[in-house]
Amino acid sequence: MNYSAISQNAVLKIKNVSKAFPGVQALSDVSFSVYPGEIHALLGENGAGKSTLLKTIFGVYRPDSGTFEIDGQEVIFKSPAEAINSGVAMVHQELSLIPQLNAIQNIVLGREMMRLGTINWSEARRRAEISLKRIGFKGNPNESVSNLSVAQQQLIEIARALSFEARILILDEPTSALTSQESNQLFEIVEKLRANNYAIIYVSHRLKEVLQLADRVTVLRDGKLITSIVRSEIQGEHDLVRHMVGRNLEEIERPDLNTTHKVEVLRVENLTIPGVVEDINISLYAGEIVCLAGMVGSGRTEIARAINGTDPRSTCRIYLNKKEIEIKNPRSAINYGIALLPEDRKRQGLVLHMSAASNATLPDPPGKFGFISRKIQESITTQALLPLNATFGALKMVKELSGGTQQKVVLARWLLTNSQVFIFDEPTRGIDVGAKLEIHNLMRDLAREGKVILMISSDLPEVLSVSDRVLVIRRGRLVKELEGTEITEEQVVLHATQG
Amino acid sequence: MSINRVERNNQTAISLRALRGSALKRGARQGALLIVVVILIAYFGILNSYFVTSQNIQNILLQATVVGILGIGQTYVVITGGIDLSIGSMVATAAVCSGIFSTHTSPIIAILGGIVVGAMAGLVNGLLIVSTKITPFIITLGTMGIYSGLALIITGGQAVYGIPSNFQHVLAGKAFGIPVPILLFAILTSLSVFVMKFTKFGEYLVAIGGNPEVATLAGISVRRVSAYAYIVSGSLAGLCGAILAARLGAADPNAGSDLLLVAIAATVMGGTKLAGGEGSMVGAAFGAILIATLTAGLTSLNVQAFYQKVAVGTAIILTILIDQFAKRRRR
Repeated sequence: MNYSAISQNAVLKIKNVSKAFPGVQALSDVSFSVYPGEIHALLGENGAGKSTLLKTIFGVYRPDSGTFEIDGQEVIFKSPAEAINSGVAMVHQELSLIPQLNAIQNIVLGREMMRLGTINWSEARRRAEISLKRIGFKGNPNESVSNLSVAQQQLIEIARALSFEARILILDEPTSALTSQESNQLFEIVEKLRANNYAIIYVSHRLKEVLQLADRVTVLRDGKLITSIVRSEIQGEHDLVRHMVGRNLEEIERPDLNTTHKVEVLRVENLTIPGVVEDINISLYAGEIVCLAGMVGSGRTEIARAINGTDPRSTCRIYLNKKEIEIKNPRSAINYGIALLPEDRKRQGLVLHMSAASNATLPDPPGKFGFISRKIQESITTQALLPLNATFGALKMVKELSGGTQQKVVLARWLLTNSQVFIFDEPTRGIDVGAKLEIHNLMRDLAREGKVILMISSDLPEVLSVSDRVLVIRRGRLVKELEGTEITEEQVVLHATQG
Repeated sequence: MSINRVERNNQTAISLRALRGSALKRGARQGALLIVVVILIAYFGILNSYFVTSQNIQNILLQATVVGILGIGQTYVVITGGIDLSIGSMVATAAVCSGIFSTHTSPIIAILGGIVVGAMAGLVNGLLIVSTKITPFIITLGTMGIYSGLALIITGGQAVYGIPSNFQHVLAGKAFGIPVPILLFAILTSLSVFVMKFTKFGEYLVAIGGNPEVATLAGISVRRVSAYAYIVSGSLAGLCGAILAARLGAADPNAGSDLLLVAIAATVMGGTKLAGGEGSMVGAAFGAILIATLTAGLTSLNVQAFYQKVAVGTAIILTILIDQFAKRRRR
């Protein structure tokens, strides 16, 4: 890695920035510098202050004290527009393109070039294409972005950011919705931008890609700067984790299942959803964690939704404890003790305006004759959250909680149903290492109690470390079953992508 | 994009403080409405001392009852993310039915008849909404026309006169020295507050409005619960029809036309979000009382009805504006 960049002057200096919100010191006295031609990773658990810092840089919030310097000039942006004009661009985690417009329209949105009172589309196209070319966008720029893949949309978003003549590019969890192949393409682009002397602030939970890409890593914890170190001084992932959580995390041990007697709990036969998945047969045994692996869009989520009765198009036979059952809708799945933790926490998991307690007890609020006992509701929620290491007022609104804590509330909901089968769809997406390990431990504990866990995950290290068995799905078909020592990165990727 | 979401720690002490803060915030809107009502009464009272007599305040509350009860019914629907544009027409249909029943049967049956007619109309709304994919706005826009036409067809366009005095007595008379409609208004408001706070039905309404997909995945029968909300709205509109027939001594098939917008105004002034998932029953009641106070006050000052409309319209926008301003300040 070329590190002559260090000798240059910093393009962005963050100097003693502090920011408090009612009840929380979100940032305290944070200082570090970002240099042109470097990929600067920003790490920290949820609630560590990363988002606050980014928004303070970008002019969404104003710091209580401290300043920023861009090219040696002291600045505090009052709005995102000012930040953009000074060459700072941000690509948000949630994409902010207008789905009905095409790539060109999105890129020039708000800055359309005018000619005789109408938009000069040929000039707009010329400029947009320059930006698109710079990042190697291969799709059709005239297509509505809603028809493009998430990865392509992300590229358009980056192109849009670059078209503002940005020199500092902030990427907030750019790979959280990408497949590993798409991620690799993104890395190439980010590396190309680095070679062109852009300064890139890169926020990610995926330590592997941070180690692969970053020239320097800055770690925040509880709003404080823990360290800002160059890549060569980092020993490995464990080193980063230690900085982020302030302690060493113990890995979970995998029990040797071959010694246990296998008891079938759930069997799914001939699961077909026209045009999506075909003839899937799955058997799940008590005490095991089985992972459905495969690319995004291979049909994994649809399988889960078919089993729990959310998808009306599916046909299959389901046996629970060797007795055939009929699941008509999510309610009957819940009644049979089959719980589904959906993949999208905000869209499918939580009612943001309700309290944690209301959310956690939604399938079955405590109380008789249609009444709710708020007292019991609060106490059972608090108890369900306890083993997840989440202690906070259960009456708190969910929208006020951090991402990892929100996920624990959804988990608590399904734990409270006391189910026998748990289907976890992307249980740790977008949450920090500490919370992630807690969730893994919880899954292992459930398995130890004899429950069955079917996990869907795009996070390969997670698949490898947690699963007892891996079922690889490719284009709607179950193509390979891996067990024990067969579960390796190469095997999973090979079967998920080939053919 | 969740720019407004503040990252926080999970420390218990902090969350307790935040909890108290959010409880205060939730009550703030309703408290503010009450303060405005008191200020209005004081202001009009200074200009005209008759305004603060108990007789006049009773009159104001009486004026607020129909709008308030309709606003509460509307709140049930709006919390689910829906809307019921047919409430005014259901009032008219129920009023003429109840009026006709009262001339033939006992007052209680006539009142129940009005409520049942409203409930049936609400059931039709609910069934159409959950069994088609047409939005509540369009369905109830359609039934608004249908129900108001029905009211005219039933009576041949004429008002129903000759409503017996015993019927008028039951609904428009007094119990414990308080006019019955005001009692009903108070009971229904309290009951609805209770329903939202302590019943599964109330909890499900909020969940459905907040995020229907989450509600479905949590095993809630979204369609059934949504349909119930329209039945509640219809039943309350039916009751309002009976109250109007009793108070006026005649059932006018055109009675409901101006009630719809005022009832929606009471609902939104009370802090209920049209997008669903958030709402306040007390707020709707206070909203109705505020509108009635303003109208009565302006009448006592001999302000023409045309100008009163302008004033009420301005009050609606101001309420929401002040609320948004207060929210921004809190941030």
